[in-house]
Amino acid sequence: MQKIRKISQIFFLLLIVVIPILNLMEIYFFNGSFISLTVGNLAISDPLAVFQAIFLSHKIVPLMLISILIPILIVIFFGRVWCSYACPYFLMTELIDKIKNKLNIKNIQNKNINTNRQNIIRYGVLLTGFIIIGILGVPLLYLISPPSVISTQMIMIIKHLRFTSEVIILLSILIVEIFFIYRFACRYLCPTGTLLSLFQFKRFGLKVKHIGSCSECNACIKECPLMLDPKIDGDSKQCNNCGICVDSCKDNLKQKTLFFKMK
Amino acid sequence: MSFIDKIKLFLNSFDENEFFKINRMRPPGAVEEKLFMELCVRCSKCIEICPYRVIKRSNLTKNFEVGTPYIYAEEKGCRLCMNCTTVCPTGALDKDVTYFRDTRIGVAKVDDTICLNHLLYNQEEAGIADGTMAVCNQCFNSCPLKFDAIYLEDMILPRITDKCTGCGICTESCPTTPKKAINILPNGMADRDEAGYIQSLKRKGLR
Repeated sequence: MQKIRKISQIFFLLLIVVIPILNLMEIYFFNGSFISLTVGNLAISDPLAVFQAIFLSHKIVPLMLISILIPILIVIFFGRVWCSYACPYFLMTELIDKIKNKLNIKNIQNKNINTNRQNIIRYGVLLTGFIIIGILGVPLLYLISPPSVISTQMIMIIKHLRFTSEVIILLSILIVEIFFIYRFACRYLCPTGTLLSLFQFKRFGLKVKHIGSCSECNACIKECPLMLDPKIDGDSKQCNNCGICVDSCKDNLKQKTLFFKMK
Repeated sequence: MSFIDKIKLFLNSFDENEFFKINRMRPPGAVEEKLFMELCVRCSKCIEICPYRVIKRSNLTKNFEVGTPYIYAEEKGCRLCMNCTTVCPTGALDKDVTYFRDTRIGVAKVDDTICLNHLLYNQEEAGIADGTMAVCNQCFNSCPLKFDAIYLEDMILPRITDKCTGCGICTESCPTTPKKAINILPNGMADRDEAGYIQSLKRKGLR
């Protein structure tokens, strides 16, 4: 399970490098970044970007609605797998964790954190963001969404051999991530993930489920990157179905206790 | 030109410091500036698909145009291949503009005081031509719409018609230094007072 996830993450990481190179060779089958991607004749857009454009301009182009259909359907059926299976920033944070473990630096993890508080901060950030862009009149929320910044900057590096100033914001997010708050961007900041989680419904879709008695080893709680309790928070909007808890559960060897289920 | 003037010119020549400048246009098919700033989601698709590396990504300035696409005519003019209008996901670049003669991203303007052809013409009119100057015609020769968008009056003076698309190839090829004798006034941003919608809103007292 984790192997498939790693392969998928690396595939998407390669995608943001390969697409600009293909475009340089004038092969336009793939085109775009993680804000908006074209595969052949199929357009896929980040719902955050499209909602910002609609919110500001009060104008709806049919292509916008068609292009956000696929991401939203995926979220409704499979949860926020974008974050766990594709986002290059999530891969980066996992890498940081691994390096920290190797260097024996302890993560500042407060395990008693309230899931509801996380969600309130997340939605608060999204709401303030929309208020700010409403005042400015410019869709700028992509600035605090790390995957968008990474993929667009990759295009700039490969095509024009230089950065633009968004890199500063990405670096400051990374510094906070490494030195101060554990998984800062994924848990509190990233507006892409927050907006996608609006389409996660409590009673429908792929969820982590806990059944029967377990040995209470709490390995799942220790492993969860988003600081959830998988036994209770399986259907939480914060959960992105990465499946780390399911793989870490030792009771699963004897009988199914923690597993994915389609509701 | 003195040394200090050269330093001044160098310091003032960074395109990305100001939100408005001549020779700086939106890609073909761009809607009017205010709507463009609202619709453009900075996805870099047009930058990526541009086969001539003409479209560049803007940096952070005081008008929040960070990430929006620009064409810098002094570096490279638009080749009017019309690839970019087909990929825009939100309609900030109008999909209906597919024929290169339909684009209006700006209009070229000849500076009479430094254009080499004008200088030569003036010398010959005054009867002081000494044979050190030659006919240039670079803008006319490089124009993709020559005789339509640009023509030579009296076979020497370049004149622009309203069929000019504002692609900026003439600006790119103009040999005068340090200032170009032919410049593009970008569409909707023709002069400093009208440039940038946030600035214009401030002037109207709306913000």
